[in-house]
Amino acid sequence: CGFTPAYAPGGSAYALRNQILAEAPSSTEEYAFVVQFEDRLGRTSDAAPYLLTYSITTETDGLAVTSDQETLRYNLSGEVRFTVTDRASGAVLTSGRTESFTSYSAIGTTVATRASEKSASERLMVILADQTVSQLLATAGSWQP
Amino acid sequence: QEDSPVSTLIADRVEITADGKLVASGNVEAFYEGARLRAGRITYDEDADLLEIEGPIVLTQGENTIVLADSAALSPDLRNGLLRSARVVMDQQLQLAAAEIDRVDGRYTQLYRTVASSCEVCAANPVPLWQIRARRVVHDDLEKQLYFDDAVFEVVGVPVMYLPQLRLPDPSVERASGFLTPSLRTTDELGLGVKIPYFFRIGDDKDLTVTPYVSANRTRTLELRYRQAFRSGDIEMNGAVSRDDIRPEGPRAYLFAEGGFSLPNDYKLEFDIETVSDDTYLLDYDYSDKDRLDSALNLSRVGRDRLFETEAVVYRSLRSSEDNETQPFLVGDATWTRRYDVPVIGGTGSFQLEAHGHQRRSSEDVEGRDVGRVAGLLDWTRAWSGPVGMLFTADARLTFDHTIVDDDSNYPDTINQTTPYGAVEMRWPWVRQDAGSSQVIEPVVQLVWSPDDGENTPQDESTQLEFDEGNLFSFSRFPADDVQERGLRANVGISWTRYDEAGWTLGATVGRIYRQDDLGQFSGYETFDGIESDLLTAVRLELPNRMTLVNRALLGDDYDVTKNELRLSWDSDMLEFASTYVWMQPSEVEDRDDITHEWRIDGDWQINDRWSSSADVRYDLELDRSASARVGVVYSTECATFDLSVRRRFTSTDQLNPSTDYTFEVQLAGFGNTGEGRSSASRSACRG
Amino acid sequence: QGANIGFGGAEHDSSLPVEITADQLDVSQADGRAKFTGNVVVGQGEMRLTGAVVDVEYGESATGETEVKRLHASGGVTLFNGAEAAEGQEAVYTLETGEVVMTGDVVLTQGENAMAGEKLTVNLDTGTGVMEGRVRVVFQSQDAQGAQGDGQ
Repeated sequence: CGFTPAYAPGGSAYALRNQILAEAPSSTEEYAFVVQFEDRLGRTSDAAPYLLTYSITTETDGLAVTSDQETLRYNLSGEVRFTVTDRASGAVLTSGRTESFTSYSAIGTTVATRASEKSASERLMVILADQTVSQLLATAGSWQP
Repeated sequence: QEDSPVSTLIADRVEITADGKLVASGNVEAFYEGARLRAGRITYDEDADLLEIEGPIVLTQGENTIVLADSAALSPDLRNGLLRSARVVMDQQLQLAAAEIDRVDGRYTQLYRTVASSCEVCAANPVPLWQIRARRVVHDDLEKQLYFDDAVFEVVGVPVMYLPQLRLPDPSVERASGFLTPSLRTTDELGLGVKIPYFFRIGDDKDLTVTPYVSANRTRTLELRYRQAFRSGDIEMNGAVSRDDIRPEGPRAYLFAEGGFSLPNDYKLEFDIETVSDDTYLLDYDYSDKDRLDSALNLSRVGRDRLFETEAVVYRSLRSSEDNETQPFLVGDATWTRRYDVPVIGGTGSFQLEAHGHQRRSSEDVEGRDVGRVAGLLDWTRAWSGPVGMLFTADARLTFDHTIVDDDSNYPDTINQTTPYGAVEMRWPWVRQDAGSSQVIEPVVQLVWSPDDGENTPQDESTQLEFDEGNLFSFSRFPADDVQERGLRANVGISWTRYDEAGWTLGATVGRIYRQDDLGQFSGYETFDGIESDLLTAVRLELPNRMTLVNRALLGDDYDVTKNELRLSWDSDMLEFASTYVWMQPSEVEDRDDITHEWRIDGDWQINDRWSSSADVRYDLELDRSASARVGVVYSTECATFDLSVRRRFTSTDQLNPSTDYTFEVQLAGFGNTGEGRSSASRSACRG
Repeated sequence: QGANIGFGGAEHDSSLPVEITADQLDVSQADGRAKFTGNVVVGQGEMRLTGAVVDVEYGESATGETEVKRLHASGGVTLFNGAEAAEGQEAVYTLETGEVVMTGDVVLTQGENAMAGEKLTVNLDTGTGVMEGRVRVVFQSQDAQGAQGDGQ
């Protein structure tokens, strides 16, 4: 059916693990994104051939407003734009953009809502990192020299 | 063109007459320090040291003031003199036509019998939408201000207002003290009122906006906004004080202050203060629709492989259904994390220290429970590539938490608990790439173990649980460390994504959790309880920077939908909106008494170069009525913008009755730089 | 008040006698021409015309004597007449009409004011003139002159 194992020898992403250094995070959200990216494609050192740069934007919208104006659910939507560059030549090998959302409810106590909000943000970063890795895996054949 | 201190005259031909005059003709231009004049003919009379100029004259001063005239007599440096039947055009917007214009020292331009407007006047519609007729207008090019004497404001030719004196900033001004656009506001509760904002430019880095808001014997309000920028950060304070007849017993007020500073070596300090005099003030005046206020102080430092964040928060609930005595009002969190490569055995290690505390005002037993927690976490994970492209990952984790409980007799004062975790994961991604597309299918199986029994700790934080692709493969579905997920469970999932060469992307994920036995940790949480969790399904469709559709549904045992959330975001140049749909069964353990079934759309639509609209509507499908709606329409011409917005709130509680408020605002273009560029398209008023 | 940029300041009479001094003189009686070369200075009343080479055309005057009809100076020419000075590459002075036509990067200066162009046609007797080609006039405005203490 035309599919081949990505990480098998000769597979398109065989030589992709531990090759991409993610740009250093500067916020809690970015930290979670980089941890998930490293867990999926492996950590690397400063000698890595490729660099992943990313810019993440998130937005919170209130939902489920009750008749006494209480907002009981929030949607956290997020978008990441990323590029992979060849660190030697600085050439952009591939780039992409992906978007998703997570949500959390605000019915519980203040600390419950606070914990749910933090968890929603971490889950969103996991999703965005996974979707970034999927695109890199799927298209590795065409951009990895 | 040289900025020489001398004046320069350029022409195709210069005659020297017998009486010593110079007559320049043919593409005549004169320059002096940034001022440039083009004319048909210029005669330079040495004795009078004067340039007699015949039209058509175009004098540009700096890059945003142009003077057109039929004839003029100016000093050689173009700084002093008289222009006859002239028109001044400022910043390609504001036009001042005058019988006579005097230029004084290159700074002041005095216009006599002037008509000022930024509307385009042409044969098709000779009468502009608005204009200001004045006996005299003085433009101070240094201060960038326009002073009108005996000004009559006319709308469509009809005199509407007479002002003996009027001062307005010229269009190039970005930061100048002065009145901003007034707006009319009528609401059911506060009647017809007017807001007249005045902007004080205290300095390049500080400004204060004071907005009196007065409505006929219903409210007298003063709104304030103070902003200050520092080298390493900025602060902004918004507030208001009111006396109104909704709560006549006393003054009502609110203050929202926030700020952020970057400190040396990567530390960031952020604060925000939110306080209000009574629970409904923010809603009555549409200052904010927050139903819980949180004042926080946050210090953080994030870098590669390390994270440090500490935050203290004071909560205050404005919800009528909540009592601030029993809601945790004071919360403190601190997290310190390090990641590193593990020598010898390889893999990645991470170490985390976390402290948390929350306190309730009440000290009633159970009702007033206060909890403190110090937790440590040590984690090691390593991946191996297996045969035929399989990827194995092993993970070992040890968590220790020390919990302190106060005001709750069900729990001992302190609870210590150590929880080991072990996990193995197998990922086996398959890829297919051909001319038109590339696809990836990735099955994942993860086995996670932690001891079946652990201490019984108070569960204040992990009461609202969610299930999505973000925690399908996480060690614990509880959002906080107050509870650890226990037992042997398998997280199984498969995701497929197709990247089409034309740019669109279609992806799907399916996943489920299988537990060895039901430890009752999730009883009441329909999504997670029992041996098998609900089936997680997620679909994603993306059209290249145009549309993204994500739908996530949880299917129960017999594939009935127990929860469905959809988000559609659309972004094209004329139309931009985000729409969300949520359907959730009630959940008694999560105090969700009834079905949540809501659809929301929030977007702007640029209908054409004149009309644009915006809408933010929340429709409660269960009660079959909209919970709140905010609709706005903006009509903008090249010289004025009319902005009408309506907000409808459908509340029915004793304190809050449904209300509709309308806000109408007219903004004249041409005075003060309004920031958003005027689209040239709207200038072509003179069609045909 | 401001000095005049035209040539009307000093009266000039183009019928006055012309003296020419130069390093070298070649005379050809046949066609009534003379070629002065080397630091040539032509003087007539207040006016001075200098050039590297000046060709002089002689002709019969009304009273039968031979007199100078036309002067053709080239190789970098300057013309002084009272307070004004004009420089150019070439100049042709036709005494009968009192007209000087100077061409080639002509610069006419008078105190602080200067005018540059391609071709300057000046009538010394009437003091009028025309400068053509992309003419540039640079002049100090009144107060600037005062400011520089260049009082008249």
